[in-house]
Amino acid sequence: MTTPPRAGGAPLTEGGTATAQEKEADAPPPSGRRPGWRSSVWTRLAVSFGIVVIAVVLAYLRAGNGVVVWQAVLTGLLIGGVYGLIATGLTLIFGVLDIVNFAHGAFLAIALYITVQAVTVLGVHPYLALIAAVPLMFLLGAAVQRFVLAPAMGKPLENQLLITLGIALLIDNLLLLFYGGNPKSAPLPGDHGIGVFGAVATLSRLLAFAVAIVLAGLLYLLLQRTRLGTAIRAVAANDRGAQMVGIDTRRIYMATFAIGTACAGAAGVLIAPLVTIEPTSGELFNIVAFVVVVLGGMGSVVGALVGGLIIGLTEQLGGLLLPGQSPLLAVFIVFVLVLFLRPQGLFGRIG
Amino acid sequence: MKKPWIAAAAMALPLMLTACGGSTPPGASGGGGGGSSPDTITIGSVHPLSGASAGDGQQMDNAAKLAVDDINAAGGIDCLKGAKLKLDSADSQGKPEVGQSEAQRLIQNGAVALLGTYQSAVSQNVAAVAERNKVPFVIDVSSADAILQQGYKFTFRLQPSGTVLAEKGAQFLSDLSKKAGSQAKTVAILNEQGPFGTAIAKTFSDKAKSLGMNIGPQISYDPANVSDFTTQMTTIKESGADVLMVAGYYRDGVLAAKAVSTVKPTLNAVWGVANGAFDTPQFPGEAGAAGEGFFDVNYRLDMTNKDTQKVVKAFKAKYNDDIRTAAVLSYDAVRVIADALGRSCDASPAKLRDAIAKTKLDALVAQDGPIQFTEAGENENATPIVMQVQSGEVKQVFPEGSAQTKPVYPASPGQ
Repeated sequence: MTTPPRAGGAPLTEGGTATAQEKEADAPPPSGRRPGWRSSVWTRLAVSFGIVVIAVVLAYLRAGNGVVVWQAVLTGLLIGGVYGLIATGLTLIFGVLDIVNFAHGAFLAIALYITVQAVTVLGVHPYLALIAAVPLMFLLGAAVQRFVLAPAMGKPLENQLLITLGIALLIDNLLLLFYGGNPKSAPLPGDHGIGVFGAVATLSRLLAFAVAIVLAGLLYLLLQRTRLGTAIRAVAANDRGAQMVGIDTRRIYMATFAIGTACAGAAGVLIAPLVTIEPTSGELFNIVAFVVVVLGGMGSVVGALVGGLIIGLTEQLGGLLLPGQSPLLAVFIVFVLVLFLRPQGLFGRIG
Repeated sequence: MKKPWIAAAAMALPLMLTACGGSTPPGASGGGGGGSSPDTITIGSVHPLSGASAGDGQQMDNAAKLAVDDINAAGGIDCLKGAKLKLDSADSQGKPEVGQSEAQRLIQNGAVALLGTYQSAVSQNVAAVAERNKVPFVIDVSSADAILQQGYKFTFRLQPSGTVLAEKGAQFLSDLSKKAGSQAKTVAILNEQGPFGTAIAKTFSDKAKSLGMNIGPQISYDPANVSDFTTQMTTIKESGADVLMVAGYYRDGVLAAKAVSTVKPTLNAVWGVANGAFDTPQFPGEAGAAGEGFFDVNYRLDMTNKDTQKVVKAFKAKYNDDIRTAAVLSYDAVRVIADALGRSCDASPAKLRDAIAKTKLDALVAQDGPIQFTEAGENENATPIVMQVQSGEVKQVFPEGSAQTKPVYPASPGQ
């Protein structure tokens, strides 16, 4: 793990940022990759899709019931959307600042409690909490980066890692102090099951999925079409180079961390109706979110979304294929396979 | 280089002194040691005050504090010249090794008895510490049978063991459904995959088979990261089972309820066994209509008992929180220790242990009789009862002796 400023490694167009490759220390060297995998995003999507189809067929043979398999696919996609939503903020921070942000789950938990406040104290619709949660989390993220993490930039990786772990512990226990450990909830008014070709899903999950897609799209546009996005991508690719062309990298770091945290805020509000809200609720998603980020390619918003969907499907279909095992077993089988074939993740580059 | 060395020595000295202090016989924080009567008697409480189970752990610790306050307000321990109780609380964080070291620390700080700990794995370690130090340990909540199968002399358990819970769970299902005229035929099982859920599911299905029921699909899940049960519920719906047994914790219980209301399987009952959700006061609120009609077979604070009602009210007044059964068991654990002190008239842990073994005390939770311990330390009258969510409230429904109202069966949950 070298420290920033990073040496320019892989070209921006392929293979992710230099850091993405540095992290895969034990993966085979880039030259070992088969050229077929380099071709295009579409090939990779097609291959992923083909594997999913095979998994569905296997699950059908195993379960022997079409409705169950279709329900598993639908549930998997919807959960996957939520995973993707949570992972988008994380992947941005991971890709640009090179920080393994263990506090992401805790930021999510703050947004959950903001939603609880909005529902119980103000009595408003839970989704209205977005108005408060997104800007508040943006500011919190900016403050945390500026005052806590910035001094550790350029220091060894484990410094930042321990700092974010400390922040997570701090937030968990502050929430415990203020709200107590009793579970809370923020139900969506009028939430009900909706039939989708024989399977069912709740309105709240369908909405969370839809917004996750929209949000990922907005973030993608921000990164691709705005000056800020271009600067963020430039810093991610080579921060010394970015400095040389006049980009204030410190501000970009702060902005990126704030945007990532705001994403956690938005995700927290959207999943609030789906989960039981406790100070440790955010941690549930931490492991999965990290898997999604690395699977999709660090720093890739599209990768986070696709990775989320793949992990969601894997969990559900894996549950049918390997009954009685933790869903994480199937998830990590897929994870290891992907890393073996494509160490930089499925979409290993920014945006 | 000199200064830090001196500083280190200065730091180490008091540590060594306290370590020596800890080796004197515990139990005497005022007055003489051993058999005489101290001014205060310390009881150690080990619960998960932080971490994922902090909600339950804090409640249990608060209930123990409330019990100590109530006993002190009533004059303390009479035959020890009105000695007052003091609760020394420790946080196990839900981790066995932390629980173990905290138990050791409490004993060294003079605790004459321990109570706790909620998680079976933690209780297992604390029981070993208690045995080694010959200090009595009263388990309020922890279901694993194995804890009391080591031949321990100093550990006692208030709640019914996992085996009792699961066997009665199957027995009550058979009795209740037969009485209602639509006997349970096929039971699907949804259990968390840890030792707790696996043991409950295994014992339950053995007993259910011996009672003539079929076991439908048995599905286990990981409670730490499950986020949706619709696939599992669809499998259960397609299997045609008429009862769904669920053994798990709070968060997953709520998710299961939501999945039942989304998928709408054709069930006569959702039947929790030692379920961490279905009988809690929060559950009807969080699950809403989805949880209506759910059963749970579990130990239960006895709302038909006047003393229990008093404790429920006092807890609400003091902590602005609805007390759950786990915390009532902590209250009972303090009562058991205080009662034994009142009979031994001696605050030494060994005498206290003998007195606890001879306990005969009415419980605040629903039981078949007073709290009495077997040779192994199990509370022989501990029993689960059947509860059901009716009109948004958890009611005791079966057996008749402890019922507040009649059970509704079939309950057709999610319809």
